[in-house]
Amino acid sequence: MLYSTFYLDGTLMGLPIPCILEIGRAFKIHPIQGAPELVDGLINLRGKVVTIVNTGLAFGGTKVQQTQESRIYILKNNNELREVADPELDLQTSPDNIGLHVDKISDVINVEKDQLQAVPANINHPYYKNVVRRGDEFITILEPEKVLNLNEHQDLIS
Amino acid sequence: MSKSKNINFNIYNPVITYEHRAAFDMIVSHLQEIFPICNQGKCKALEVSDDPQKQKQINDLMEKVEFFSNSLITITRVFFDQLYRAKETSSQSISRSTAMIKIDMIERNLLERTCDVRWWALENAFWKCITHANESNKQASKPTAKTTKSAAAAKSNAADSTLKKAVELACKRLEDIRNSYTLYRDLVIVSLDGTIIANSNGDRREEVIGMDVSSEEWFQKALQTKDGTEYFVQDISESKLEKEDSLIYSTALRADGDEQGAVIGAMGVLFDFQGESQIILNEYLPVDHDGSTLDGWYSFFTNDHGRVICSSEEHFIPSGFIADLPKRHLGLKQPGEVLVSTAVIRGARSLVVSHKSEGFDEYKGLGWISHLVLPESAMFERSLENNDYGISPQELMNSRLIPDTNKKTYQEIQRNKGDIQLISINGIILATDLGKAGSSFIPIFDQITTTGNSTTGKMEELLSEMSSDMLQQNLKALENFSKQAIDLIDRNLFERAADVRWWSTDHAFWEALQKATKENLDEASKRLGIINASYTMYRDLVIADLNGRIVANSKSENRDKLKRINVSEQSWFRQGIQISRSVEYGVQDVCNSDLENEDTSLIYCGGVLENGQRKGKVLGVLGILFDWETLAVPILEGCLPRINNEVVEGGAAFYVNSANEVMATTDSESFSIGTKVDVPKENMNLEPGDSASGIFTANDRKYIIGSSKTQGYREYKGLNWTAHVVRPID
Repeated sequence: MLYSTFYLDGTLMGLPIPCILEIGRAFKIHPIQGAPELVDGLINLRGKVVTIVNTGLAFGGTKVQQTQESRIYILKNNNELREVADPELDLQTSPDNIGLHVDKISDVINVEKDQLQAVPANINHPYYKNVVRRGDEFITILEPEKVLNLNEHQDLIS
Repeated sequence: MSKSKNINFNIYNPVITYEHRAAFDMIVSHLQEIFPICNQGKCKALEVSDDPQKQKQINDLMEKVEFFSNSLITITRVFFDQLYRAKETSSQSISRSTAMIKIDMIERNLLERTCDVRWWALENAFWKCITHANESNKQASKPTAKTTKSAAAAKSNAADSTLKKAVELACKRLEDIRNSYTLYRDLVIVSLDGTIIANSNGDRREEVIGMDVSSEEWFQKALQTKDGTEYFVQDISESKLEKEDSLIYSTALRADGDEQGAVIGAMGVLFDFQGESQIILNEYLPVDHDGSTLDGWYSFFTNDHGRVICSSEEHFIPSGFIADLPKRHLGLKQPGEVLVSTAVIRGARSLVVSHKSEGFDEYKGLGWISHLVLPESAMFERSLENNDYGISPQELMNSRLIPDTNKKTYQEIQRNKGDIQLISINGIILATDLGKAGSSFIPIFDQITTTGNSTTGKMEELLSEMSSDMLQQNLKALENFSKQAIDLIDRNLFERAADVRWWSTDHAFWEALQKATKENLDEASKRLGIINASYTMYRDLVIADLNGRIVANSKSENRDKLKRINVSEQSWFRQGIQISRSVEYGVQDVCNSDLENEDTSLIYCGGVLENGQRKGKVLGVLGILFDWETLAVPILEGCLPRINNEVVEGGAAFYVNSANEVMATTDSESFSIGTKVDVPKENMNLEPGDSASGIFTANDRKYIIGSSKTQGYREYKGLNWTAHVVRPID
């Protein structure tokens, strides 16, 4: 399967390509009063309202700032995902379209199933699904439905 | 961004290097490969999906890729233009300041000469000698019928003997001057009828004395000066006095040495212009391993008629001839006017920079022009220096050294790179959604990503090369400024060393020390006062006796305070009492002295010797307190880095002493007097005459720095000072 990789505060992470609706950058983000802190705001994507999660804050780290290099992954909702993705892949996102704001995107990589390794127990973060080794680098593959579950975020933060 | 029609340096311009042409070809051919790939993608869209919306999405993506590829091709052309323009601007700016430095250096020197000649003309020995010579001429022309032959002969013999003694003394005093100020080929004094009566150069005395110079302009104009404040300078021209072309400063000798007295003769000083100019012209030119100036680099001065008056390459651009330059360069009219153009000089396409002199201070100059010629290709050569200054290409690219237009191009390249990457990934997402049918798109988008990365990567590489070249050029410029700063102060301090040696021989001083009557001491103080009034660069001048007591000084308001001070433990005094020859001098490095209420004092000293002899017993010490900060700070300000004549924000220049403490500064907040600045080691520990550059951090800012250590100048050996010129880059 193909993965789009990105950097978050220096860590290289990957998202499955089939889960992604598109990647953009020059979105106008509308801040929402009262929303959780990790939500940057809302965007209007061709008529759809999409919540943008600040991935840096979602991981409890540094806030991702809008820069020349920062990008927003718009993820498919579960219905959209079902229409195109191979059911065997067993992918889940969330009922709504949600965007992930990241520092910088990197290459698209193709990872065979047998290259996916389990996350070491001592760094077992709830958002991590697998680890892939590429040369000298490690790429942590994320589990989109976990990252996108805002209720769970609240629990994590509290 | 500038449009392609405004491009000065297109890729076919001969100054573009082979490497850059190859890089351009590579980038453009890679980008052009994208168009067939996009066409292939558009065709495939029809094959793999019947859904018109999906087909349109793929088509739009391909068109976007084509758009960005086209835009990158345009940027590439603009980019090379900007790369070469940046190098051109930077080289021209350095060349302009080099041409200016040279003429400024010679004019500063000549200002001193105008002060010298006016001051020397007041010397007792000269006006007395000329008075006798004029008398003697009158006697010789008078009819002798009313006196007996023997009486006339006796009178004549007595007069001859007095005149002979006066001439001997005048020659000795002229020699003393020439020994103190080694910049002159000869100095002469001339009677009213235009006969040379005495000269300074013993080797040429037989040839020169008795010569009739009444037809020479410098002599005639000297007689026309209104008072002792006026002088005349005769531009480089032939003179009977010497074989070489001469630059002669002259003024009238006046009755009783009074500035307002009647004109009784003239004094002419022959400045060693060629020797001095050769030194200046050969400075700041690049040299090969053997120390010879690189081919195609010439530096020379022309006079108001376009004639070369001195040249760094007399063989190729000889003095005495009209310079082979475009006429516009020889006809600059306005003082300070600068002209930069390209022309073929001695067969090579060259950059020609000409700067019309503004004179210096009250000396208006003779309208000379300083020219610098360098091969056009030298402006665009890659720097051979490849020092690691610990600064990343990215940091350098974003630094202040890089012009804003280049930064914009850099950002545009980055943006296009980002756009192509984004289009490719979105294309891959789209292809994935198409399932198996879409998999044939993936290599197409991969190829687009690879091409986008390789072309923008190559451009980043070239930008990084450019920023490193800009860094080197700027470091070189700062080195030149620091060299100029140390050279100018050295040359000025040489003059002070010459002044103190000459003044120490003044009759009023040795007479006062030999016979310390009130009258003699008052006379010495009066004489010091006259000197201080004529030369504005001294705070005070003092004479100390052998016990270290100040017995005379130039400023009466300081006298009571000075009388209470004993200077016997002070360095300048201790150096002074060791002096036994009039060609020697001493200097106390910048320090805080109780002789004045200033933070820093720089004191030169000369030994006052018995009977004003050249060699003998020391009677006391002449100390001159140089108003050095008033001089040093403007010199430093003149050496600050500039862009379009504006000093660069945060640019600063300062002198440090041998302990690396700041002694004079243009920025007393960031680099204050008495502090030590943490400059790179290479810049701190220089050998005499050497220069270095580097990068350092101070006051939370990153600076580039150029430094030069004193090499002294002629008899002035320097005090181990270093000049630093800095500019912030973040």
